[in-house]
Amino acid sequence: MFLWTLRRAAAGVVIVWLVATITFTLVSLAPGDITQTTAEQRVPAAARERWRHDFGLDRPWPARYAAWLGASLRGDLGTSWAYHRPVTSLLGEVLPNTALLASLGLILELVGGIAVALTQIRRPHGHADRALTAATLTAYAAPTFLVGLLLLYFFAFRLPIFPPSHMHSPAGELYRGWPRFVDLLHHLALPVVAIGVTGIGAVARYLRGSLLDERMERYVTAARARGCSEARVVWAHALPNAALPLITMIGMSLPFLVSGSLVVEVVFAWPGMGQAMYEAALARDVPLLMGGTVVATVAVVVGNLVADLAYAFVDPRVRL
Amino acid sequence: MNRVTREVTAAALASLLLAVMGCRREPGTTAGAPIPTGPRQGGQVIVGVPADVSTLNEYQWASEASEFAIIDMLFPSLMAEQPDYQLHPPSFAPRFATSWEFSQDSRTLTFTLRKDAVWSDGVPVTAEDVRFTFQVQKDPRIGSPGFEIKDFISSVEVVDPFTVRFHFTRVYPYQLMDANDGHIVPAHAWGKVPFEQWRDTDFERIMVTSGPFRLASHTRQQTLVLQRDPAYWGSPRPYLDRLVFRVIPEISGQLAQLAAGQIHLVLMVPPREAPRVRANPDLELIEVPSRAWAFIAWNNKHPLFADRRVRRALSLGINRKSVVDTAYHGFAKLANGPVLSSMWAYNRALPVLPYDPEQARALLAEAGWRDTDGDGVLERDGRSFVFELLYAATNSIRQEISLLVQSDLAKIGVKVRPTAAEYMSQIDRQENGDYEAAISAWEEATKVDLATAWMTRTATQGTNNIVGYSNPEVDRLIAASRDENDYTHCKILLDRIQELIVEDQPVTFLYEATQLIGINRRVRGADINASSIYFNIEDWYWSP
Repeated sequence: MFLWTLRRAAAGVVIVWLVATITFTLVSLAPGDITQTTAEQRVPAAARERWRHDFGLDRPWPARYAAWLGASLRGDLGTSWAYHRPVTSLLGEVLPNTALLASLGLILELVGGIAVALTQIRRPHGHADRALTAATLTAYAAPTFLVGLLLLYFFAFRLPIFPPSHMHSPAGELYRGWPRFVDLLHHLALPVVAIGVTGIGAVARYLRGSLLDERMERYVTAARARGCSEARVVWAHALPNAALPLITMIGMSLPFLVSGSLVVEVVFAWPGMGQAMYEAALARDVPLLMGGTVVATVAVVVGNLVADLAYAFVDPRVRL
Repeated sequence: MNRVTREVTAAALASLLLAVMGCRREPGTTAGAPIPTGPRQGGQVIVGVPADVSTLNEYQWASEASEFAIIDMLFPSLMAEQPDYQLHPPSFAPRFATSWEFSQDSRTLTFTLRKDAVWSDGVPVTAEDVRFTFQVQKDPRIGSPGFEIKDFISSVEVVDPFTVRFHFTRVYPYQLMDANDGHIVPAHAWGKVPFEQWRDTDFERIMVTSGPFRLASHTRQQTLVLQRDPAYWGSPRPYLDRLVFRVIPEISGQLAQLAAGQIHLVLMVPPREAPRVRANPDLELIEVPSRAWAFIAWNNKHPLFADRRVRRALSLGINRKSVVDTAYHGFAKLANGPVLSSMWAYNRALPVLPYDPEQARALLAEAGWRDTDGDGVLERDGRSFVFELLYAATNSIRQEISLLVQSDLAKIGVKVRPTAAEYMSQIDRQENGDYEAAISAWEEATKVDLATAWMTRTATQGTNNIVGYSNPEVDRLIAASRDENDYTHCKILLDRIQELIVEDQPVTFLYEATQLIGINRRVRGADINASSIYFNIEDWYWSP
């Protein structure tokens, strides 16, 4: 297992390098550069040439790539061209925001999804099950932005009980301590639900199916024959087995904790990775874009690795 | 990327829907114009902005007008430019300088400075700060975007702490404006950062300001709070306690929050949303002539558009009035020439090119274009008159215009292929001359500048001449106009230049857009004009 982990880690390094290289190449070959963002304001060509030179944009891209790779290997992701601040410090600001939003979304989707699925299998094909099937299918199919907009419409404007955007109210920016935390929770509510709702649909659909399958298994019948209560049958026997594939789902959601959901971030003006990367791409802010790409790729690789290890840990049939 | 763009577009569309719903609410308790009261101290105004400021140090390539507007409230300038450019080149009022005087030969300009001005850390603002700022503006290691503006200023001399003298290498009309350009930055605080490190420095960590407001807090991509500076030395002092900028990327989100009273000012209301803002009794819609104008760039170096008769025919063949009215819902003015119609230098006698498809066809025939195979598209020497019209994919107004142009030109036998391009790639193709035609725009400063866009392009001049326009007579007249000191004489030259450019039609002049500003009626005293939203920010007050 140790060797296996080592091999996977080595492969992960290669993947990160490949993704970084491809991204750098694409960004370098894309037309336009950061000095042209002000084109309609007629910035003097000489000023622009000077900036190009300072950013190294007058050198061929392989040379720029080599310089970037060398610095990154030394742990230096450079300074953002647009914000004049170290990339690591910028990412350090947006990553926690994204991670907070996405992890709460993930928790909501798991807790909600499991609760819905358990309710459904109490009486399969009963009224509650049918209604919830329709509801979860709808939630699963609904685009996140639509859910976000409906939430906004109903709970921020029609019935203004939640703030429509941002992490803090204008006055909340000046709060400290407990009031600031409450202000943050208040602002988290709608975006977390927007992320969670589609996820609840997915988890519930998945789990309901596998729970029904597990209930047909002989070990469940055996448990019932031993006189276990129905609750114990479901919770202690069927659920752990039915939930195995969820580990893969969670593992695959881990990158999302880092890369963020652009749509939710834009709709709720949430200052996370998705927005930062989108802006960096439009502005051709190469250091920021590359830094974000590397961090997100590492998250994907690590997320997959952790999911596989966890799988092996909980399922003795899996041998690494 | 494509998927992301699609998602964002979808989100944009759907949130427009939200704006529609959001604005349809019943007038709430706050409906109706409040009873007028006099100015009062206190309160805050919240402005919705689409993007965060990237820097508050303008010599670090601050690029957005919104950034300059904030910088203008935080840093002093020698003089305050007045919005009187309709009548003559802008005049100036005292700000940090109390008076100024030219020498006999007009080559030196001496400013007398206020003695009571202080930075936010209590250090006095002096002539040394002015000299330091000039050094910053000129130093190649910093590479300030406006460094060429200071080309004719050889040095800035500190006569005494409150007297500063500018030395010019030549005498020309914009000496005052060029001396004033750029805000004064704190020598004692920012002078400690070596010039090589300016690009990589976060100046908000060493923020020292001197203006009606100071920076209270800035949370990236969220909120920037300006607070009234009690140490401000100018007069009048602001009534408002705070001016808050909230980053709301989606315009529909801004409009919904404006309608709900959560923000008080939206700077770019899309024309199609204007009626809804106007219908809301809590809001006022302010129309300000913007400083941007749009055109169709014909690549003059391309064989299709090299003949000026052809370019003229294309302009005549487009129903510009109807295009502009349709796309802008009436909130734009037809553009007629290369100078904004709100400027003193605009030639009011310029002929307005009508919509005349007949004459357009005749001109094209004269230039040798005929429909020889009867397919409805003109040909010449075996080549059909077909071209690609680029527009920025994110700009729905320009997309609409491209379709209207396509249908107009089809009627005179010209086939247009509207092509959406990512904004930066369009700019790149324009600058390299790698395009046929494009819908584009210029944003004009209050200084009349015909040289960069219309002079024949060389390494040093005409560097923004993206259409490859070249007319030796225009070149000669522009050069002459730059040396003309008397603006009434200069105007005669400028009038002639505009006539020549309009005759040549290097571009089809489309429109001067109107900037639509949505403002909560409780914000009073705002005199918003085209050169600056916050021009009289000191007079703004909040009426509860």
